[in-house]
Amino acid sequence: MNIFLKELKSHRKSLIFWSIGVFLMVASGMTKYEAYSSSGQSINKLMADMPKSLRAVLGFNDLDLTKASGYYGMLFLYLVLMATIHAVMLGATIIAKEERDKTSEFLFVKPVSRSKVITAKLLVALTNIVIFNLATFVSSIILLGKYSDGEAVNGEIAILMAAMFILQVLFMVIGSAIAAVKKKPKTAASVATGILLLMYMLSIIIDLNEHIKGIRYLTPFKYFEAKNVMYGGGLEVSFVVISLILILSFLVITYVFYKKRDLNV
Amino acid sequence: MNVIEIKNLTKTYGKARGISDVSFNVEQGEIFGFIGPNGAGKSTTIRTLLSLIYPTSGSATIFGKDCIQFAPEIKKEIGYLPSEIFYYDNMKVKDLLKYSASFYKKDCSKRMKELAKMMDLDLNKKIDDLSLGNKKKVGIVQGLLHEPKLIILDEPTSGLDPLMQQKFFELLEEENKKGATILFSSHILSEVQRLCNRVAIIKEGKIVTVEKISTLQENNYKKFKIETNSTLDKDYFQIDGVNKLDVHNNVTSFLFKGNINTVMKKIADIEIANLWIEEPDLEEIFIHYYEKEV
Repeated sequence: MNIFLKELKSHRKSLIFWSIGVFLMVASGMTKYEAYSSSGQSINKLMADMPKSLRAVLGFNDLDLTKASGYYGMLFLYLVLMATIHAVMLGATIIAKEERDKTSEFLFVKPVSRSKVITAKLLVALTNIVIFNLATFVSSIILLGKYSDGEAVNGEIAILMAAMFILQVLFMVIGSAIAAVKKKPKTAASVATGILLLMYMLSIIIDLNEHIKGIRYLTPFKYFEAKNVMYGGGLEVSFVVISLILILSFLVITYVFYKKRDLNV
Repeated sequence: MNVIEIKNLTKTYGKARGISDVSFNVEQGEIFGFIGPNGAGKSTTIRTLLSLIYPTSGSATIFGKDCIQFAPEIKKEIGYLPSEIFYYDNMKVKDLLKYSASFYKKDCSKRMKELAKMMDLDLNKKIDDLSLGNKKKVGIVQGLLHEPKLIILDEPTSGLDPLMQQKFFELLEEENKKGATILFSSHILSEVQRLCNRVAIIKEGKIVTVEKISTLQENNYKKFKIETNSTLDKDYFQIDGVNKLDVHNNVTSFLFKGNINTVMKKIADIEIANLWIEEPDLEEIFIHYYEKEV
């Protein structure tokens, strides 16, 4: 419990900044929607004129951008990107920082097992992620509600947030697993972020090329896309199962490797 | 009873040397010195004992329990002062010590104040703002806070001024009188000489000798310096028990351990101009252990 509280406190400031960041992200996104919709131009038509590849890169395939919810669906991709970067960095740093800051000679000579330390730290990361998710949820409900024009959006937001939460947890444990396996703790966060960006790029490449749709299992960014999840689509069971299996596997890797390896002291 | 038992402990880091085949015991209630030059493997041994790193082979027990399998349990009664002190920067000294104390199921607030007063440490300062010496004090208080039965100190005096060092040693002697066993690693010999009952000397990852300080200082080592009228054959004194033989012009010097009569007879056979026989100080004995065999 003491480790939990201490870690919670040390991540408080960064969590506040991230939460403000996500609020601003939603706000700026929806302000742009206001500009589009009030200009009277049909965005859909504008978008249809764009080359397909550009639409894929910008993330607005198959969404009705005239509706606030459709526009939000496009924005969701960026929210997910932000949330997962937060999660993967948090997962990696929270494990690696004892070695990075050389405090492992303090913490790990205390009468606690390494497993207990990891458990406390992962719970803190999870708490941070839940709060980040709630911050996004609340920001979205408030801001999207302003522009939705009577359209029922809260249900859509809720299901998108559920999808985002699964991805957050998945990337958090990817981060922690990398930090647990890697012997150089300083680079854990950057390696984890690098892997995340590679997966993101892979998801765009898949968007551009229908023939390689089969490899969409390799990148979590393809698991729950707004266009599939929204408007009654829901979360695809197979991808939920895959996510859970991956989360569990990365958890096991985190614990097993961190327990077995020499600490960097 | 042995508080620490180390059996054939080996730790290799790839090609780099770690420690090999280290074995020694630390008995209940003693202050045990662990001496060696930088990079000899002192910290590696200590970190293995604390299961921060794991041995390649061999094992160690503390309080009769395996130091890896029972690590969390054993550590309830261990206080550790690492050679380099790093703490969570954004904390006040007081908060760090409270955090440290929270791991032990004891009320340490009174002792915290006592120790801080004794070591002249300001509890309300931020750790960031402390000098190296003051950080070391935080480490000392932190290590002794929960009144551990085994105190492990890795080069504890670096950064402390002589006055503080004095107080720190008094503190350790006090803890020792109360029953604490102390493992004290150092490369500074005078410290060891004053405090410790026994020492283990480690060199290049291997234990050279484990002896009582008193034995080390006993008269079985003599320092000879002989001045002759003519240049002496370089190997004239190359006999059993002679160490650090040095022939320079007409002056021959060496350390001798063994039956003094054999040397005296050799000396009697030659024409000498002058002769000095002295007790070597510990420093010289250690340097002899430190130096690589040619």
